[in-house]
Amino acid sequence: METTEVRKRVKDSIAKVLKIDQESISNDANFIFDLGADSLQSVLLVAAFEEEFDIELDENKALNVQTVSDAVDFIQEYLN
Amino acid sequence: MEYRNLTEKEINILLKNRCQCDNWNNIKVKEKFEPTNIICVNFSGNVKIGILSDTISAHNNIKKTSGIYNSTIINCQINDNIYISNVATLSNYTIGENTIIENVNNIIVSELNSFGVGKNIEILNEGGGREIPLLPNLSSQLAYVLVNYRNDEDLQNSLKKICDIERKIHLSDIGMIGNNVRISNVKEIINVNIADGAIICNATSLKNGSIICNEDSHTYIGANVVADNFIILSGATVDTSVNLENCFVGESTKLGKQFSAENSAFFANCEGYHGEACSIFAGPYTVTHHKSTLLIASYFSFYNAGSGTNQSNHMYKLGPVHQGVLERGAKTGSMSYMLLPSRVGPFSVVIGKHFNNFDASDFPFSYITEENGKSVLTPAMNLFTVGTKRDTEKWAKRDKRKSKIKLDKINFDFYSPYIVGKMENAFNILDNFYNETSKEKEYVKYKGLHIARLLLKTCKKYYDLGIKVGIGEHLIRKLDNADENSIIEIKRELNNKNISKFREKWLDLGGLYLSESDWKGVRKALINEDIKSISQLNDEFEKINISYYSYAWDWFSLLLKEKYTPDSEISNEVLVTVLKEWSVSKLKLLNMILNDAEKEFDINSKISYGIDGDEETRDLDFKYVRGSYQENNFTIQLKEEIEKTNLVTDKLLKLLI
Repeated sequence: METTEVRKRVKDSIAKVLKIDQESISNDANFIFDLGADSLQSVLLVAAFEEEFDIELDENKALNVQTVSDAVDFIQEYLN
Repeated sequence: MEYRNLTEKEINILLKNRCQCDNWNNIKVKEKFEPTNIICVNFSGNVKIGILSDTISAHNNIKKTSGIYNSTIINCQINDNIYISNVATLSNYTIGENTIIENVNNIIVSELNSFGVGKNIEILNEGGGREIPLLPNLSSQLAYVLVNYRNDEDLQNSLKKICDIERKIHLSDIGMIGNNVRISNVKEIINVNIADGAIICNATSLKNGSIICNEDSHTYIGANVVADNFIILSGATVDTSVNLENCFVGESTKLGKQFSAENSAFFANCEGYHGEACSIFAGPYTVTHHKSTLLIASYFSFYNAGSGTNQSNHMYKLGPVHQGVLERGAKTGSMSYMLLPSRVGPFSVVIGKHFNNFDASDFPFSYITEENGKSVLTPAMNLFTVGTKRDTEKWAKRDKRKSKIKLDKINFDFYSPYIVGKMENAFNILDNFYNETSKEKEYVKYKGLHIARLLLKTCKKYYDLGIKVGIGEHLIRKLDNADENSIIEIKRELNNKNISKFREKWLDLGGLYLSESDWKGVRKALINEDIKSISQLNDEFEKINISYYSYAWDWFSLLLKEKYTPDSEISNEVLVTVLKEWSVSKLKLLNMILNDAEKEFDINSKISYGIDGDEETRDLDFKYVRGSYQENNFTIQLKEEIEKTNLVTDKLLKLLI
């Protein structure tokens, strides 16, 4: 899957979970500091990515991902 | 002990010492009685006096010469080496040896009474219906069944009988102040029994109660305490302006700092400061430390109340009915509110204000948060937190009870059949939801709670992980120090298990884990009057507690067979699978807790550090105050546990492969 497609779907998922406008999510946005995700929302985000891409992520590693671009890279590793 | 009348000479000495008596013939003394140390004392009624000549060590090792000074004594037996001074009225008491009573207004037994024993207190429902009697040997287990099993009339009648026996034992018009008691600067003590070794210092008013104490752990009643209708057990401290009405204070419980409570029972190792409790069943290790915290009409166990926690319910119509249940290990966050009745499952955390009645008892280790007026449940999330790990490890270490036989039977095992059984049930509920819920839905609803659909699969996986760790932990316990022969024995034992046998329900009876059939056995013995007293009942609970790991293994071995090899024999390969799954799951769990611990050292945690400096100052200030992740004791211990898990896995795999 192309990076742009992954990024778009990652941002879609983030927007749904955090109930924010997709346009407001920058590539370098930090989940906690910029997007205001708390620890429970972080778990929801991981679940949302799993469902969106039909993959199973390693939670320990996934919960350490801090930015949108890192999430895109992390998911792309699984897809490849 | 033989007592004699006073001699003429002794009476003359007493008169010379400005003592008075309406009839000196009513004063009996021991053979070697010495009247010199009785000065300015009014005697009335029948009084017996021992030998008052030795010195006694008071507070700060100040030596006092035993004797009676500036006091009025009515109908008392005063044993050897006692120091009584400035007691306006001491009436109807037997006083043990080496006791000091000074600067007290009144210590009186006013009538035939049971010293608080048998007084009913209204637990869980302020309006009554679940009353329990105050008893000196009330265990959290006895209280649990008295309070909760009201549907069982036969049981309640049997329990009432043994409780009544206890009350009658304590009926008397003479009170007891034991040996080595210290009472000083107290306004009034009325109808209170005080056991050996108790210390009462600067209390204001104690009425209708019993203070139990043993040599190993002194009971301390301190400044400005007001208590009416109470039992306070050994090792307890009730201090600094505590106000109690109709209360039971269990072994080694600490209440202080203006805490007030009514119609409440606090079992072993509770702590209550500043706040207020009304009609609560504070099971072992219930802790409330903060002002503005009102705990009301609920059952708690291993509970921690955040500041401002409140469960009051002002919408009642037919009376003040609340009745909450917060199971073992529950926590409520600061300023959290729950509309009662509601129920919180084991090791769960309540955050925010909840204006719906909910029942989360099927989901252990959950977060219950509030989102736009909805109560949202995130199941299993508290399985991986530093808080849960630290709490479960600290409780056993903080058991302050010193007696050999402890009244409350408390089991600290984290992976009990009760908890793992709940995880299994929660897994099944989530699995059903997962299979049946459309992806269009954001939430599923369950008993007043909303669960995010996206988390159904994740949380199910976490419970499964917990179950695997639980099975493994109990298998490892069996395999500890195992050799080839013992493995053959364990396999034989497992293969002999009939998995069609119903894996029975377990209970958490006020801190004691037991199977439903064990409880039913106790119940039957009570109803058949094979158990005839409270002490026999407590002994039965003790026996069950001692045999816990054997009973728990029965349950886990059935679960193991059911899960891993329902249709075939247990082989080494099966045990290898169980062991490997345990190892992988446990390592994952420990690593997630480590991740949670790491957050305590992240950039957010450093906000407010290095107040006037730059980032370098902030980091350095933080390091000096909080230390570092690498050097933190908790994280070091977790890493050691990870290492130990790997070692145990390798060792046992070598034996099995």
